[in-house]
Amino acid sequence: MVKFVRALSAALAAVIVAGSFVGCGSKTSSNNAASSNDNTPVTITHWLWVDSADYMQTMNKIADDFHSKYPNITVKMQTYAYSDFSNTLTTALAGGGGPDTASFKLTWTPAYTQNNYLLALDDAVDKWEGKSEILPMLWDKMKEAGGGKIYTMPWTWQVLYVYYRPSYFKAVGIDSVPKTFDEFIEDIKKCTTTINGKKVYGFGLRGASGGQEPWGSFIQAYGGRFADENNKVILNSPETVKGTQVFIDLYKNGYAPKTAVNDGLAELKTMFNNGQIAMFIHHIGSSVDMVKANGDDIDAFPVPKGPGGQWTSMGDTENVVIASTKHQDAAIKWVEYLASADAVKKWDLATGNLPVVSSVAEAAEFKDNKFMKVSMESQSYAGIFPILPTTANWVNNVWAPVMQQALMGKISAEEAVKQLDAQLKGQA
Amino acid sequence: MKKKIHWAPYLLIMPAVLFVLLVVAYPVLNSIGMSFQNYNLMIPGVRGFVGFKNYITVLTDSLFYQSLLNTVIWVVFGVGFQFIFGFILALILNTSFHARGAIRATVLVPWVTPGVLIGLMWSWMYDGNYGVINDVLHKLGIINKFIPFLANPSTALPSVIVTIVWQGIPFFAIMLLAGLQAIPNELYEAADVDGCSRIRKLFNITIPSMKNTIFVTTMLRIIWVANSIDVIFSMTGGGPGYSTHTLSVYAFKKAYGTLDFGIASTLSIMLTLLLMIVEFFYLKNFFKDAE
Repeated sequence: MVKFVRALSAALAAVIVAGSFVGCGSKTSSNNAASSNDNTPVTITHWLWVDSADYMQTMNKIADDFHSKYPNITVKMQTYAYSDFSNTLTTALAGGGGPDTASFKLTWTPAYTQNNYLLALDDAVDKWEGKSEILPMLWDKMKEAGGGKIYTMPWTWQVLYVYYRPSYFKAVGIDSVPKTFDEFIEDIKKCTTTINGKKVYGFGLRGASGGQEPWGSFIQAYGGRFADENNKVILNSPETVKGTQVFIDLYKNGYAPKTAVNDGLAELKTMFNNGQIAMFIHHIGSSVDMVKANGDDIDAFPVPKGPGGQWTSMGDTENVVIASTKHQDAAIKWVEYLASADAVKKWDLATGNLPVVSSVAEAAEFKDNKFMKVSMESQSYAGIFPILPTTANWVNNVWAPVMQQALMGKISAEEAVKQLDAQLKGQA
Repeated sequence: MKKKIHWAPYLLIMPAVLFVLLVVAYPVLNSIGMSFQNYNLMIPGVRGFVGFKNYITVLTDSLFYQSLLNTVIWVVFGVGFQFIFGFILALILNTSFHARGAIRATVLVPWVTPGVLIGLMWSWMYDGNYGVINDVLHKLGIINKFIPFLANPSTALPSVIVTIVWQGIPFFAIMLLAGLQAIPNELYEAADVDGCSRIRKLFNITIPSMKNTIFVTTMLRIIWVANSIDVIFSMTGGGPGYSTHTLSVYAFKKAYGTLDFGIASTLSIMLTLLLMIVEFFYLKNFFKDAE
């Protein structure tokens, strides 16, 4: 019996050790207490994500240029994967650590401002000489996100559109890009065939995280809406169900690859480059890589207008100053510099993003870019997801598993929309 | 006469005890404490004691039961097949053959490979468009069309189970091999004299002699597999839908996906309690047989 008790104790200890991984957080902090008001050297930490490791060279160059302009301020970069970025930042800030400045998304704003994690930048922006250079609609969006205050400095923006392979359109007899959503669906069906001896799917459907953006275009084309003018969630409607059903049917009826439920951006780009899909929805950020892979056999058209409306997702990246920073002045100077014409031009030329500075957007390198033209064409009906405290969680953790169940036929389109509506309202 | 207390042993083990208290007791107690609190980093100002509310929330959540069922399937089939194949491999490695030493070292490769790397490697092997498994099956004429193993709810969980089985076989093989080598050869010689068949020797000598080794290895592996998330997370993230969503994946996603540490701690404690119950009956039966 003694043996048994001893062994039991050992087993319990082992179980508890193995089962108790929750409860450990991370904490980082800035290591420099000096202010930048005088010329005392300060180091600020900037957290960001990059879509390609190559882009860090450009970011380091921008930081070097900033250091040349303000020799007493050094910027230390730390990169994190986008998929975990917001959660890593929140966890660090909740633990009393985190960076001085960070890249950011507008939809995250309420979750951060309600925790007082961000520094309001209204006064700094009013005094900033570059303010008038920024596209006015961006200030409006940022104010809307901050409930009337500005917490973010603009950095880049992108609009989603449809990439397509012109040679496939020609092969199946499509003369011009679709102008209506019905034509778009028809063209997807036409492109789902064998071209040059290869099985081609008309549409690269994104069922993994991030797929909510293309899906948003589908539901709004049929009249569905995320929220009303008072930001009240009205997702659960027959129109949203209709758009969702069209989205699901593309998968169910074989117009999208069988792997679609798990496909994310990397998979879609690989399949497009390998000629397995004729179309997919993403923004200009993918154009640099994809032109390298496909040469002239890639083009784009705006997300077409449906019977109930036209909408595409506007992607955005801003920079924020963390409220707890000990180097407020230096941090503000850094995020202002990132939004300057010089830094924006360098970054957007390297990454293919849309400039937030009007004078840069007018430069020939951007104006003559065919993907930039489609982006600008789509700007008038581009929108963002409703900015609610629940949005970040809904986007990161809710949409994909719910839609995957609907795509696999485990739940109906009605049930999927009902669940998505409830979760966005924070009711589930 | 008063017995003299020898302090030296206590002083010698004190650093280890303090270290264990710091890295084990504190996180465990903290997790227990958080499971009774509203502790969501995304919702400020509501942190505080809520009694058993988190436990009620978890017990009335249908996803908890689906995750529990997936966990049971994951552990039973994962550990079960690891044991069966590991035992077969141990029996093979216990025989004499050319380059036995090199092969014994090679079979350890899956066990020493990091779980995330294994997950990524197997996801590419299973890939529904370019995966080598589909390619081989197609070329052999076994399938007509590529199967999206990880995108289909009926094949996703079996696929990740195959991966964890592949990873865990070497652990059982090496541990059981050590047990096999400790069995006195005289027992087999006596059995030979009595005319026992190989199967009889396996069930009447080998397995009973290795009972302790089998017991310890399976108990450890049940705990590890139930708590493991690296392979599932890197292969499917718990999806598609919730078809590979186990309790440990659920706890991890609640903690680091939604930053709800209250519910995540509750799920962890529930999993710990369930494992303790399983291990309790396991130990009880083992010692009953031993006595």
